[in-house]
Amino acid sequence: MSSDDESLGGFLQGEQEPSASWAILVLGLVASLTFLTLFSILYPGQNLPVLSDFETFGNLTGGIWFFILGAIFGFFSIIATMITEATRE
Amino acid sequence: MDAVLSTMMIFWVLVFAFYVLVHRGLWIFTDVARGMGLFMLEKALGPGIELVEGRENSAARSWIIQSALWLFFGATLTFEGLWLAHEPSALHSLSAWGYNPTSASLSSAGEYATLYGAVGMAMIGASLHIMPRLLGTELASERNATLVSFLWSLATFVLVIGAHDPSVLGAPVLVIGTTLQTLAFAAILINHLLTLANRTRAIALPAWLIIIGLVSDPLALLANYIAGGFETGVGQWLMVHMIGGTFFFATIAGVVLYTASVATGNALWSRTLVGATLVGSMIAINPLGAIDGSMAVGMLGLSAAELAPSMDERIVASFLMAFALIPVLAFSGNTLVTIRGEDASVENSDSAGIPEINLGAMMLIPLTIGALFIQGDTLSGVAELSGMATTLGKMGIWLILVPLAFGSALALYPAISGRHLASQNRARWAFWLSAGGAAFGLTLTLMSDVIGMSLLSAGVLDPSSLAHDLSVTGSVMFYGAVIGAILHCLNMVSGLFRGTIVAEASATASSIKADSYSLASPTSVRRILAAGAGMDTEVVPVGESDEAGSATKL
Repeated sequence: MSSDDESLGGFLQGEQEPSASWAILVLGLVASLTFLTLFSILYPGQNLPVLSDFETFGNLTGGIWFFILGAIFGFFSIIATMITEATRE
Repeated sequence: MDAVLSTMMIFWVLVFAFYVLVHRGLWIFTDVARGMGLFMLEKALGPGIELVEGRENSAARSWIIQSALWLFFGATLTFEGLWLAHEPSALHSLSAWGYNPTSASLSSAGEYATLYGAVGMAMIGASLHIMPRLLGTELASERNATLVSFLWSLATFVLVIGAHDPSVLGAPVLVIGTTLQTLAFAAILINHLLTLANRTRAIALPAWLIIIGLVSDPLALLANYIAGGFETGVGQWLMVHMIGGTFFFATIAGVVLYTASVATGNALWSRTLVGATLVGSMIAINPLGAIDGSMAVGMLGLSAAELAPSMDERIVASFLMAFALIPVLAFSGNTLVTIRGEDASVENSDSAGIPEINLGAMMLIPLTIGALFIQGDTLSGVAELSGMATTLGKMGIWLILVPLAFGSALALYPAISGRHLASQNRARWAFWLSAGGAAFGLTLTLMSDVIGMSLLSAGVLDPSSLAHDLSVTGSVMFYGAVIGAILHCLNMVSGLFRGTIVAEASATASSIKADSYSLASPTSVRRILAAGAGMDTEVVPVGESDEAGSATKL
């Protein structure tokens, strides 16, 4: 918490920050969505470069992929937590 | 004499010989064996042993964190296996990468990852923490135990690959995985035996359960080998159940009984029941597990034989399986009563892991009875219930073994790591997601199996849409176990770095305790404790007056 000089009118300024692992995950998500949005505007109706060339990603049909993507997201959360917690000051 | 009884008798003799050797030692070879064991664990490994640290509890921490990672992989593979059971072509697009999984291969891989990765590593990790404390000494080699945790993980990884394809480039993958695992297991066993040899006090009953449970794994294999069970279907089936009943059940029982007492602060309820658990788990054949010996066949590289027991073998096996209810009931009852204590500890929301142990101990009895009927049905050759065996096996893993082993790891986590979990709230969420997902998901899958069996016995060839819908819902609900595993994993990893230090937590907790409690009227100890009193709180009786009250003068 801030010192008494900074607490004005009952307002208190905290000093904690979100963990770096969450910051990386959110930045990654935002970057992905930004890329997809820009791509769909700049190249409407076209397949994604490189990714769409893979047979796997060209045929992502069936509900299981939503769940697998969730599991992959969880796995990378664990990895991100390991890296960021270990390197945290 | 039939194969089942002869194998079991050899096993009982071997276990009894081990018991005598623990007390008597190896005569003049004791010191030589001890020195050689220590040399093999540390010096013989050369510079490799310097890669890991040897601080107290570092080994247990390493095993348990890796078990959390394997729990995630085990849950994911099992979920995919359940999904492919109702949509076989769901992962067809992965064939572009040369990966063609089936429901059976994913389920098998999930079993290896969960049994040996999650359950096995959590169990061994907890035992590495428990044994030195029960024996009043230090672990013989923390460094070696830490190092072999990575070898065990590698072995599990190889087994998971082997479950998909038992032969890669002509190499028997499952046998390679078993060999790696045997090396790691031998090191852990020697470590435990050396710790046992350095004991400064009598061996407590949970320690007996752990050490005999661990040593029973190779002894069960040896007994089967001597009795010629490697080549017969009965022997292969028996191997699976002997290892399941000793290595998994007895070791977990020892770990859980210790944890139930330590984590709740209650005394272990009954020594007699621990003894019944120990002796019963060695004498009986545990019915939980597969209805064939395919896992033993794959891991040992044997040629599969048909399970065709004689009448004598059926009778002996059925009797010994029914006898397994004694250790199961003894263990379950002892654990539940110990956890409940005076009905105060279960309500302690800070005890992560205790709800898992509670769940595992409660589910043990109905699932064992269910498994008993299915195994009896299989041994009798009727095989009317075999359609439920796979799902019931999964229930045994996800509703008994995982909650008991991983719950113990969670409950011992503060003592092992020196820090509490990052978030108790996240641990609660993880429990409800895991338990709810596994219980509801597998129950719905079991219902789907039962419908399929009924239609099959009635000669109906058209698949049931209800069975399909239940199967879909069951697999979706099981996804809760995947999310629960992710949350558990994140919680444990973050807790290592950011969890409240145990000593600080104690200081914080003591600061809210009342120094004195005024006892104005008769009340229960429970109410006094709920008011913030601790063991050192002074209870002060306050006299009451019957005089009429009056306004307070200001």
